Amino acid sequence: MAEMTPKERVLSLLKREPIDTMPFFSGMGMVVMPGIKKAGLKFPQVHTDPNKMAQSAIWSAKLMDFDCVVIPYDMCMESEAMGNKISLYEDSEDILYPTIPNKQWKTMDEVVVPKNIMELGRMPLVPKAIEIIKKEAPEYPVGCWVLGPFTQTGQVLELDMILKAVFKQKSQVEAQLDKMTEMAIIEGQAFQAAGCDYITLREPGVAADLLSPKTFKEMIKPRLTRILEAWKSPKILHICGSCDPLVEMMADCGADAITVDIKTSIADARKKLGDDVLIFGNLDTYNMTCKPETPKEMVVEEIKKTIDNGVDAVMPGCDLWPDIKEENMLACVQTTHEYGKKPSPAGKRL
Amino acid sequence: MATKEEILKGLSDSVVEYNEDGVKEWSNKALEEKVDPLEAIMDGLAHGMQIVGDLYERNEYFVPEVLMCADALYAGLDILRPHVPQEQSGKMKGQVVIGSIQGDVHDIGKNLVKMMFDVAGFEVYDLGRDVPLENFVKEQLRTDSEIVAMSAMMTTTMLGMKKVIKMIKEKNPNVMIMLGGAPVTRDVSTLFGADGYAESAGNAVTEGIKMIGRLREVEGKNR
Repeated sequence: MAEMTPKERVLSLLKREPIDTMPFFSGMGMVVMPGIKKAGLKFPQVHTDPNKMAQSAIWSAKLMDFDCVVIPYDMCMESEAMGNKISLYEDSEDILYPTIPNKQWKTMDEVVVPKNIMELGRMPLVPKAIEIIKKEAPEYPVGCWVLGPFTQTGQVLELDMILKAVFKQKSQVEAQLDKMTEMAIIEGQAFQAAGCDYITLREPGVAADLLSPKTFKEMIKPRLTRILEAWKSPKILHICGSCDPLVEMMADCGADAITVDIKTSIADARKKLGDDVLIFGNLDTYNMTCKPETPKEMVVEEIKKTIDNGVDAVMPGCDLWPDIKEENMLACVQTTHEYGKKPSPAGKRL
Repeated sequence: MATKEEILKGLSDSVVEYNEDGVKEWSNKALEEKVDPLEAIMDGLAHGMQIVGDLYERNEYFVPEVLMCADALYAGLDILRPHVPQEQSGKMKGQVVIGSIQGDVHDIGKNLVKMMFDVAGFEVYDLGRDVPLENFVKEQLRTDSEIVAMSAMMTTTMLGMKKVIKMIKEKNPNVMIMLGGAPVTRDVSTLFGADGYAESAGNAVTEGIKMIGRLREVEGKNR
């Protein structure tokens, strides 16, 4: 049996079709410094130009043998398109993702999502970058992600105000979340129309170390479900932070797969959800992929353990921190491909 | 007439119930009834916050509730703190520089840790968020603070802390450094050469509150 391309491998897995081996891919950022350097770029340059974004993404996948190319990289595009200014930290020698230092709106009622949001700020950059990647690296699936309504609200307004408002101004919070929900739908549909092969809804701000499972059930879950319903398959739902009490609700939102990070137990999630749900996760994106002191052997053992815990694909629990320890990053991918030749709970093999 | 016990309980309960008006009422009552303001802070407000910490650890309270309780605590602190006699607050005197590191615009965890220092009566120099690395060093030197507390919520900003610690320790090896933030683990904090630690926005809640508990013990012994 001929080896599958990364694109065939990932898309077949998401369709529950048999694959040759477990892919190493992600729904979140996968851009790493070796890829950025190989493309002749510096970190602050990859966020603002479609070709630079595409080239850094492609080179990251090629050099590290990832099974996907993922764009965009930062969480500020929508907020910027709505009129907020971003910091790109162009003078910093460190790797700093763009942020919104000050938010233009103080209250939820002021927030307006422009109808032509996809034409504003850096938003047009993503469809252009998708086009370049598909042309230059057709063997890779292109993954895109969109923030969930609660996390996106934290990019537009002050998070502590929103958290308190969950109790004090429930109906305004609901209305605000609805605005962000509609925006996420439009955005995801636009990325899919531009050719993105799988899409991830990531809502890191709602885990059980922040919000109660009750709030998740009442305010968040219905909106995640609405977004996922409006998008085509394949679609993935990612929540980082403590999701042990949420995994059943996550699996019920209508995604083709769910992903979690190290704060959620894969083995427990598998027990609760059975063998019929695609579960991805939960690679530690500091200790395993960056920390200079971590020996390669430890990484290999950790990947095997993660697979034995019952994932259908090893997936970083968050954006990869770009300053990887190359040897360990390659070991993650290689071990996943080798140790993942056997079937996983919800993933068949050829 | 309310007894001291009733007042302390009223303060504590109102913090737990995130009842700002209740806290204000009991704080004023404490002053009227001549309850030692430091005792009202430690055994009323801070005691309530410790209960909040327990509720958070037991998954009965989540971050929104904790933030509202913190608001209630501050409502009382604003009333009581000015009445703590100078020599008494001097006992706990200390200075701390606090902020979220450059690239991080989150400050919930930082603010909860700051609350702990405010309760203890520290002089707090809050640099805010998205703070350039060298500003921590400059502010420590300017204020000669004993403690520098930094937080980073994102994995992507935590590595900057290592540089700050090195810069500060080079200039003044006696400064105590505290790290906090979602991705920072105890291992990382040790690795970077920091002295104290609070793990996440969530754990900052419990760590901060545990510190309040220790402060209350110390304060109790001194009284």
